[in-house]
Amino acid sequence: MISVTPKNLSEHNVKLDLNNLSPEQVALEIKNLDLYYGDKQALQNISMSIPKGQVTAFIGPSGCGKSTLLRCINRMNDLVDICKITGQINLHGENIYDRHTDVAALRRKVGMVFQRPNPFPKSIYENVVYGLRITGENNRRVLDEAAENALRSAALWNEVKDRLHESALGLSGGQQQRLVIARAIAIEPEVLLLDEPTSALDPISTLTIEELINDLKKQFTVVIVTHNMQQAARVSDQTAFMYMGDLIEYSDTNTLFTTPMKKKTEDYITGRYG
Amino acid sequence: MNNWFKSGSPWVWLSAGGVSISLISVIGLLWLIASRGLSYFWPADIYQFEMTDEKGQNLTVIGEVYDRESIPTSQLVHLNLNIDKSAETIERLLIKTGNRELVSLDFRWILVPQINKTSLPEDLVVIERLTSGNFYGYIEEIILDGKVVGQDKMAELVERVSDYQAEMAVLQTSDIGAINYKIERTRLKERKHKLEGTLTTELQQEFKAEVASLKADYQVLEKELMALRDKIARDQIVVRAMDGQTVNINFADVIQITFNNKLSVLGKLGMFFSQIAAFVSDDPREANTEGGVFPAIFGTVLMVLLMTVIVSPLGVVAAIYLHEYAGNNAFTKLLRIAVINLAGVPSIVYGVFGLGFFVYMVGGSLDQLFYAETLPSPTFGTPGVMWSALTLAILTLPVVIVSTEEGLSRIPSAMRHGSLALGATKAETLWRIILPIASPAIMTGIILAIARAAGEVAPLMLVGVVKMAPNLPLDGNFPFLHLDRKFMHLGFHIYDVGFQSPNVEAARPLVYATALLLVTIIVALNMTAVTIRNRLREKYRMLEH
Amino acid sequence: MDKLNIGRHISGQFNEDLQRIINHVMHMGGLVEKQLTDALTSVCDADEALAKKVLNNDYLINNAEVSIDDECTRIIAKRQPAAGDLRLVMAIVKTITDLERIGDEAGKIANVTLESLSGKHKDLLSNLDNLGRHVLTFLQATLDAFTRMDVDAAIKVHKSDDKIDREYEALMRQLMTYMMEDPRSIPQVMSVIWSARALERIGDRCQNICEYIIYFVKGKDVRHTTASDFESLS
Repeated sequence: MISVTPKNLSEHNVKLDLNNLSPEQVALEIKNLDLYYGDKQALQNISMSIPKGQVTAFIGPSGCGKSTLLRCINRMNDLVDICKITGQINLHGENIYDRHTDVAALRRKVGMVFQRPNPFPKSIYENVVYGLRITGENNRRVLDEAAENALRSAALWNEVKDRLHESALGLSGGQQQRLVIARAIAIEPEVLLLDEPTSALDPISTLTIEELINDLKKQFTVVIVTHNMQQAARVSDQTAFMYMGDLIEYSDTNTLFTTPMKKKTEDYITGRYG
Repeated sequence: MNNWFKSGSPWVWLSAGGVSISLISVIGLLWLIASRGLSYFWPADIYQFEMTDEKGQNLTVIGEVYDRESIPTSQLVHLNLNIDKSAETIERLLIKTGNRELVSLDFRWILVPQINKTSLPEDLVVIERLTSGNFYGYIEEIILDGKVVGQDKMAELVERVSDYQAEMAVLQTSDIGAINYKIERTRLKERKHKLEGTLTTELQQEFKAEVASLKADYQVLEKELMALRDKIARDQIVVRAMDGQTVNINFADVIQITFNNKLSVLGKLGMFFSQIAAFVSDDPREANTEGGVFPAIFGTVLMVLLMTVIVSPLGVVAAIYLHEYAGNNAFTKLLRIAVINLAGVPSIVYGVFGLGFFVYMVGGSLDQLFYAETLPSPTFGTPGVMWSALTLAILTLPVVIVSTEEGLSRIPSAMRHGSLALGATKAETLWRIILPIASPAIMTGIILAIARAAGEVAPLMLVGVVKMAPNLPLDGNFPFLHLDRKFMHLGFHIYDVGFQSPNVEAARPLVYATALLLVTIIVALNMTAVTIRNRLREKYRMLEH
Repeated sequence: MDKLNIGRHISGQFNEDLQRIINHVMHMGGLVEKQLTDALTSVCDADEALAKKVLNNDYLINNAEVSIDDECTRIIAKRQPAAGDLRLVMAIVKTITDLERIGDEAGKIANVTLESLSGKHKDLLSNLDNLGRHVLTFLQATLDAFTRMDVDAAIKVHKSDDKIDREYEALMRQLMTYMMEDPRSIPQVMSVIWSARALERIGDRCQNICEYIIYFVKGKDVRHTTASDFESLS
């Protein structure tokens, strides 16, 4: 007999007070972030705290700046010449936009998975250990172990263990995306950024990835950008709604999808004209 | 009609027509050089013509039929020929009669109406010789060790002689050549010490002793060689030519004796292939009009490979800079335009540049710095295989740069981002991800460079190619690869044989054969590169994006 | 209707779907109202034919509930409504359950008519009629609030349930007196008690519906809360 008492029901959704997180609960702190592409301002004064060990989703219409914000977290925007950023993003209390930050080291701490699966044209094994090889790790045993752990964490081990040395391009789209996730977690980052990770996948692969995200939050802080509101509702603990470069509403997912505070949010998630 | 235009059929026809024209020209070109070139190796029938000439004398002509043509009778009227003047044209044959020591010209025209009898005597023989070309005639007798022996010993003899010849070749080129090379190097060493003022009497003694011992070795070898020569010289063959004269031919001079008219088709086929093998592997003789083209093949391939080794890293590095590091500004655009325009500069201009810059400036300076002991005879300050390779590398650089850049820009940014997001630096990403993926494009560039370089002759004539190189640029003497040496090249060989040889008529089939070989080699080089590229392409195949 | 913002979805089909179930609920509300009115009339006028008709017509309400339920399920499956839309659908699903129960209660009242009551209980019935009128007004107000999704009206209606409860208690005391005075009349009185009880239940269900209206509009669950929480709403 399962006894459903109000106590263990409420335990299921521990509500965090996102405005007053204690320092050890915070994985990332974004403070007064402004971002310009040339003359155009793409993000306006974004401030938010992303809690540790949870899944935070960014939703919003196309061009609202959610992917841009995500790319700020591991400084992928550095690749865009005309991009200018002011404000701070703090990881362990240190501003990642500090002049002395080692960007490569930062990206090892903040992994990223992109919209389309982008495995390298190498073997499955070499894909997974790529990040480790970059750090100079060449010990076969260490690499083997890391590859197995990462593939297990990405729920791909059983499917590929017999063909680790075949080309990664022979995998299906969903498997490729999980491989890319395995590749990202093989270097044991603290934060994992997912930029619309399922938008190129079929619904079943999407569900597998969503299930995986749920497992991943035990080890990592996950930040996910998605177009699919239902997906955000399914996988995330916190949801931030962005619109035209502004952070409109940021609260726990249960609240945001049943009783949003802002009319813009309500209109967006119920599919109304803005 | 309007509908026909709308349906797109004219477009299909037009494009198909374009394809057929290029296909026909490729096939036609290959067919022409293949048929003309390969017929050179096919053992021809040896005809014996009994004829009466315009003075009423009977004579016999023996030889291969080289060509036949019809000429208007009117052209021959002044010769007062005893022929039927009513016919509008007269056929005449070009006969290769050989026997250059007996007649001044080894080709002659004969008029068909003058021929009384044509036959193919089975005991007619073709003797291929080291000097004076082919001999056509009948074998009278064979002299072995000064004694006359039967003709049945001939096969045995030929074999024995060819063994001797091989031995002699080894002695001459490898052993004696090596000793000469060592003596020269000792002399240069001595000179160097002298120039630097470090030559002590001790050293001088040492060098002298070395040279003396080398010279002693040389004497031994020379004696051996002489002995061999004497041995062969005792074997002779007596042959009767078409006009009845008999000629003694030394076996030492003989390469091959064949009874072409006796050979079956299968035998001829065997001959055909052994001729091809000899052509590919032998050195040229008789001012390049006889023998093989091996040094030219070797020179061409070596030069192209050297060029590839130089141009690939240079082109790839330049392309990487232009595509990955250079800012997207006017200067980069200017650079790119300059690179593209470089491809349009006429190749002879590169030759002039190579001669002026590489040979005289760079080579001259190198000589002064490192090879002062040999001056005034230049080492690198003269055309050579390295300068040729460098000049062609500059010539083909734009091709490699452009196609590598093309390849780099085709790589989806997702690959770069994926690598960067894993904490790789830009250089690591380039080295581990971008370059391997771009390798098929780089190979394409190299293929185009090879195709261009292997066929280029004009600039090479200024910077390193010679009609006849005494040594290959690669041999058994340290440092094995002699980049300063001049070399032979198939393309130049064609030009030289076809237009500069004393006997253009005789050389014509050789021109086709050499051209065929050049095409074959370029195709082979290209196919190798294409195979490598396809492997890489398969390995780094991108999913459809 | 503007308050619902139903017409502003990007998907016109979704707009129509939502509009249709709202219309169906209103139609169902109309049916329930009619049933209750008829049941009360049949009791007062001792009109057995009308009572039978009420009992027969109950299936209409049942059908309406089933079909609206069905449509709501379909909308959830196909549209995955969120926020306001989700609350609307959930409110409707619950509302129609309560409406159906009200229909059942109306049937129970009609049953009393068939328990041939003699004239001497006339005054008994008039008291019942009084309570019935009040409950009917209450139901109408609820349906009205639902139609307009008017929170203020809903809160007002919710509070006025107290009046019905008091009236019900008064009626009960009266009926008990009857029974003590004349034990032979107990069976008849009992059936009146059942009707009164049914009317009281209808009041409670209307109160539920008001809570759903508040949940839909305000996003707050006001079930099982104290009056002070209610005050904070308006």
